[in-house]
Amino acid sequence: MRRRVVITGMGAITPLGNTVKELYENQLQGRSGVGAIQAFDATRFPTKFAAHIKDFDLARYVPAAERWKYSGVNTRFAVAAAQQALADAGLLSHDRGDRTRFGVYLGSGEGIQDFQNLMSLVAHAYDPQARKLTVAQFCREGMNAFHAECESEQELHTTAAHIATAFQLEGPNYNCLTACAASSQAIGEATELIREGEADLMLSGGSHSMIHPMGVTGFNLLTALSTNNEEPQKASRPFDQRRDGFVLGEGAGMLILEELEHARRRGATIYAEVEGYGTTADAFRVTDSHPDGRGAAACIRDAMKDSGLSLEDIGYINAHGTSTQVNDRVETLAIKKIFGEQAYRIPVSSSKSMLGHLIAAAGAVELITCVMVMHHGVLPPTINYEYPDPECDLDYVPNVAREKRVRHALSNSFGFGGQNITLIVGLPA
Amino acid sequence: MAASSRRAVLTGIGVLNAIGLDHSSVWTSLSQGRGGIRPIQTFDASGLPVRIAGEIPSFDGKAYLEKEQRKGLRMMARPIQLAVAAAQKALEDARINPKKDLDPTRFGVEFGSGLMATDLTEIADAASVSATPQPGVVDLHRWGEKGLPVIQPLWMLKYLPNMMACHISILHDAQGPNNTITESDVASLLALSEAYHIVRRNGADFMLVGGAESKLNPLSMVRQCLFEPLSHRNDDPAHACRPFDRDRDGLVLGEGGTVLALEDLEHARRRGARIYAEVTGVGASFDSGRSGQGVVRAISAALRMAQIAPSDVDHINAHGLASIPSDLYEARGLYEVFGKCQPTIPVFAPKSYIGNLGAGGGVAELAASVLAMHHGQLPGTLNHEHPDPECPVTVHTGAPRPVQRDHFVKVGFTQNGQCAAVVIKRIPGEG
Repeated sequence: MRRRVVITGMGAITPLGNTVKELYENQLQGRSGVGAIQAFDATRFPTKFAAHIKDFDLARYVPAAERWKYSGVNTRFAVAAAQQALADAGLLSHDRGDRTRFGVYLGSGEGIQDFQNLMSLVAHAYDPQARKLTVAQFCREGMNAFHAECESEQELHTTAAHIATAFQLEGPNYNCLTACAASSQAIGEATELIREGEADLMLSGGSHSMIHPMGVTGFNLLTALSTNNEEPQKASRPFDQRRDGFVLGEGAGMLILEELEHARRRGATIYAEVEGYGTTADAFRVTDSHPDGRGAAACIRDAMKDSGLSLEDIGYINAHGTSTQVNDRVETLAIKKIFGEQAYRIPVSSSKSMLGHLIAAAGAVELITCVMVMHHGVLPPTINYEYPDPECDLDYVPNVAREKRVRHALSNSFGFGGQNITLIVGLPA
Repeated sequence: MAASSRRAVLTGIGVLNAIGLDHSSVWTSLSQGRGGIRPIQTFDASGLPVRIAGEIPSFDGKAYLEKEQRKGLRMMARPIQLAVAAAQKALEDARINPKKDLDPTRFGVEFGSGLMATDLTEIADAASVSATPQPGVVDLHRWGEKGLPVIQPLWMLKYLPNMMACHISILHDAQGPNNTITESDVASLLALSEAYHIVRRNGADFMLVGGAESKLNPLSMVRQCLFEPLSHRNDDPAHACRPFDRDRDGLVLGEGGTVLALEDLEHARRRGARIYAEVTGVGASFDSGRSGQGVVRAISAALRMAQIAPSDVDHINAHGLASIPSDLYEARGLYEVFGKCQPTIPVFAPKSYIGNLGAGGGVAELAASVLAMHHGQLPGTLNHEHPDPECPVTVHTGAPRPVQRDHFVKVGFTQNGQCAAVVIKRIPGEG
């Protein structure tokens, strides 16, 4: 029999609160975490709003927080959420357990580019009339203008390394970056590492912020973001007919994954079991998902098969639900493909209606939401659901939370570029 | 322990780097001791303190794609193009026509990838209209109104790390598991480790596993010069990368793409594939003290999984970065695992040929040893002229040495502490 993996700790830094409890309770209230962009002056950008983290101070979580002064907020959020998850699991102290059997698998994003210096240097070395960039000048001036540590902290492996160093987690150390699927994929593959016996414990999840000039520029150019600047809190409206794109969020979600017997032996609180994991690719287009939901449906099917559950067992789906035209239609189609008539009896809601899209970190925060749903028996709503879309005809738990006992919940995450991830969690038997 | 009888074998190699654009030319360079570190030619590096690298001077992405696929190159930064090219070579070498020979849902892609720097000319007009006379200050109002709109709409997609695996999945209809590991110098070794587990757990029958990186552009080079301990031997590039040598002065950057075809053994046998070798063990760890203990634990885990002793190993394919501190602690770690073996187990450090390929480095270097096992000859490490007495390793130098045992170990690590090791076994009679 394969080794079973359970969740024994959780931590979250999100636009709806900097604890798991606040994250969940504010979702049940149907609150929106969206507001004006504060990180930089976005007043002349096509999109001027996002879901920011509020009142965050790393010093509240860890001593000597100035260690991370050159790190991006992605790393700072990650350290705080990791500290919460470790404390929650009773594993914060370095002498708890064999740290060489305790690994890290994050789906964490890049640090934040030094936009002001980069653009200023490029402009200085560029002759717009001749459209010629003097590379040697850019290099010479760049060597003086950029800050070495701020630059190295943008690298994609630094967050996972900081966490491992800070909390002495000496097992396998991974980071994947598969766009919006990253932290779900990290949790799925971390589960597999424990199943395979490479570790007994994994800290897994994600952290990301793309609320910076290059991030908003990139997504605005792709026309992926909502531009509903008049009513930012109504901009993220998954499955609603008038949806016009996603809303950027930021934050981190971390979980402690643990081999079941290991958790039992140390008397850990077991929140849930990771029962199923599916991973597929659309292999269709860089910019669009497959119109029939081919990859997404295969992914849900694979996760169901991995869990050994039957369709009737799933009591709640936390959707990827980005509020883009294509995603919400295709995800609905994929759910119906797998669940058939049963699909209409499963409540499906989108945390992104309230949190915005945490990109690489989204899946982890949404899986935490699933665990809280199973423990407290109340489903978070999809807010801003006003105008039904005939192509999105499932029960999206519109606008108000709903009581329901759920034993098994499913969470979808789909990445730009076609990576599809489904995770299934269940209450411990 | 999850028991699996499924075995994962390597059936194709696609490799492009400074010493060759396919595995036969790479092997020729290795067996003749011909390294590829030269002055940078693809851009004007005169403004940089470091002007040498393991560069591919004449890479043309078009040469690897069908005519109707070539328009996609506009959306691929150079590392992605290198990955796509290497995937093409690996499929050819594995004699696979994916759309004919593979079940798309059983065909996965797994890559090691890193940060990709924007091509400066793509943002130059936007930067120019937004700049102010004050250095380091850009007017965000002008950027939002006049800068942003003059950038290409798909700009961001050209640089996303997961786009290697994404483009390859689209080009070859690979609908199975698809992941991108972004762990700097161990990224592609971890990608191979994960793909090994995926094949063994019956998640796929065939996977393209690889890594690619190129820091050889103005912005990346400035960044690397600022925070990497690079060799400054600009006047003597051929001797710049000196793993475990007393006179080493830092690492040398390189670029390249490598893709391996990793296949379920039965699947490979059914189609009569040529089998280079088998992946028999993987291990990963974190070295919080940068002491070499992480290297010890990663290698020990991989040897345990492969069920072999240190003395069963033909050679160690080292990380051999040629930085002053990391060669020291790597050597100490290797000594702790292999120090008691008699005769001593030789170390091979392929970075002396190609430089550090970052996220693409692990598999590029591993491929060199797979070729060594295949040809029965272990190439010598270059520039190891004065062994550092502080580094207790025996580095093989000079003419190739006959391969004597069926396994080798590949190890890699990051300067931040991530470590990975892979054990590869030659399968006699099928190699």
